[in-house]
Amino acid sequence: MSDQHSGTADGTDTSAATASGTEASDTDTASADAATAGAASQPLLRVEDLQKSYGDETVLRGISFDLDKRDVEVIIGPSGSGKSTMLRCVNRLTEFQGGAIYLDGESVMAMNDNDLRRRVGMVFQDINLFAHLTALQNVTLGLRKVRGMGKEAAREKAMDQLDRVGLASQADSYPAELSGGQKQRVGIARALAMDPELLLFDEPTSALDPELVGEVLEVMRDLAEGGMTMLVVTHEMGFARRAASSLMFLDEGRIVERGPPEQLFDDPEHDRTAEFLQRLTTISEEV
Amino acid sequence: MSGERSTARTTLARAGEGLPTGRSVGLAIGALFWAWLVVRWVTIWAGYSEPFFPVAFFEGLATGFENDALVMQQNTGALAPVLDFVAGFWFLFSDVASFVAFAVEYLPTLAEGAWLTVVLTVAGIAFGLVIAVPLSVARVYGGVVTRSLALVYIELIRGTPLLAQLFVIYYGLNMSQYFRGVSSGLLPTTAVWVAIVGFTINSAAYQAEYIRSALESVESGQLTAARAIGLSRIDGIRHVVLPQGLRYAIPGWTNELVYLIKYSSLAAFITVVELFESGRDIAGQTFQYLNIYALLALFYLALVLSATLFMGWVEDRVAIPGLGVRDGRE
Ligand SMILES: Nc1ncnc2c1ncn2[C@@H]1O[C@H](COP(=O)(O)OP(=O)(O)O)[C@@H](O)[C@H]1O
Ligand SMILES: [Mg+2]
Repeated sequence: MSDQHSGTADGTDTSAATASGTEASDTDTASADAATAGAASQPLLRVEDLQKSYGDETVLRGISFDLDKRDVEVIIGPSGSGKSTMLRCVNRLTEFQGGAIYLDGESVMAMNDNDLRRRVGMVFQDINLFAHLTALQNVTLGLRKVRGMGKEAAREKAMDQLDRVGLASQADSYPAELSGGQKQRVGIARALAMDPELLLFDEPTSALDPELVGEVLEVMRDLAEGGMTMLVVTHEMGFARRAASSLMFLDEGRIVERGPPEQLFDDPEHDRTAEFLQRLTTISEEV
Repeated sequence: MSGERSTARTTLARAGEGLPTGRSVGLAIGALFWAWLVVRWVTIWAGYSEPFFPVAFFEGLATGFENDALVMQQNTGALAPVLDFVAGFWFLFSDVASFVAFAVEYLPTLAEGAWLTVVLTVAGIAFGLVIAVPLSVARVYGGVVTRSLALVYIELIRGTPLLAQLFVIYYGLNMSQYFRGVSSGLLPTTAVWVAIVGFTINSAAYQAEYIRSALESVESGQLTAARAIGLSRIDGIRHVVLPQGLRYAIPGWTNELVYLIKYSSLAAFITVVELFESGRDIAGQTFQYLNIYALLALFYLALVLSATLFMGWVEDRVAIPGLGVRDGRE
């Protein structure tokens, strides 16, 4: 609560970080990710000492991690721990006060918002489909208005994406005519259509009826297997076990623990992690 | 699912439910009314203002009924009570016939006035909408400055009488001077242009309020989602929020249209001879106050019902499954 990260002037802070970040990136990656074979290239996403507050309330208190191409990071943590906020910092839906985020070595602060968001897709808990557009039009909107594609080309590409999430037959349905699970799959297709390098998922299944969760997770598993780089906030532990390359436990704006899912599940370093995972498992078993 | 529709249409639909042909009869009457009105306008512009129907015929009818009724009342025989009763109806028919004769005689003048009423209303609504959309967007999504400016405009206009606004621009700012030379046969005086400006300014504020609340009922998450695929905020508003907000605004917009049809009569105070003023002129010449105001009321009613039907049609045309108006917004 009380550790405020004021003082540092944002401009100088960022530029300094950018300079040192690019310089040091090669050696950093080499030392930090010795386990990752052949990690000569820089990580796709690097988050460095990320700090964020809403007014007086500090939400993120120095978060650092790397995410390589094709990695799937699952983030868990209690409500209010800053998971959504962290995701929204990555595509700059919200501004942060300290630290830096690099996408493929380039500071997101230096990038044009709309370019950044074209490269980083997002899937929302409350889905947020465009209610006045059909499933197909939900997917083509970005292609037409952001990527400037022609009508026919956009349609074709959008149909491919809908096909990918198994909804080609529902292309002309409006959101109100789709089930929650179908809506969320359209939401995923909408994000995929922009050919993102990284996909952010913010609790994509928590607003769904339990029987609809499976179809969405299945699409996400397919994506993971297809090599999509994903940052996924979810409490679906089955998905974490099967699809995550790494699991991160966030609490009070800090990373409490991060590692391969088996390690956190079976042999967590911190009691808090064990406790939280214990609670998650009992809850999901009850459901 | 197939729940309530907008209020105006519900009322109309319910009114028509009893008789299966109620709606089509209404539409037929409306079509006749507009066909007559349009033909009337064209002939008036072409220089022909005589009534289409013979006034003398209806006057004759009225006199005939009245005379017969008087004869019936004279009768003192056994049938006197019956004839007395029938005479009552004959007097009524006579009144109706003379009302029709009166109407036929003065409808051309009223049609001319109605032209300006329609012009003022349609122009006020249309130009008002053009201003109202950016105004409401500024009000909801603007920064501190644009939001405050929009707020001040809206509250200033809504907080002062329309008549005062018309006076200020017509007498105070003498706005007529800017319109010299643009008046034509269809818009006969510069005052009409000033009135259009006045109604535009006024209607923009009211429409902005309707649209504002409609915009606010579009979930904010959709704009976030639009930005998340790389649309700028303004493009997100344009392609995602406005298409929905404007649909939500249709019922409010219908109200505004109905108000404006009636409020356009205030243009009379700045010398525009629209429907109401042309009626008053006739009253001044004929002293047939009851007849003329009944006729005016019917005329306004026809305009208002037409507007409501039209907006209902628009609402149907742009309806999207599950969006707004039909599901759970009323
Ligand atoms: N737009 C906002 N304005 C102010 N506070 C916010 C906003 N969004 C989130 N917060 C606060 O930030 C904290 C973290 O929120 P969030 O990132 O949504 O947590 P999580 O997703 O882990 O549940 C919460 O205390 C929340 O109240
Ligand atoms: Mg959250």
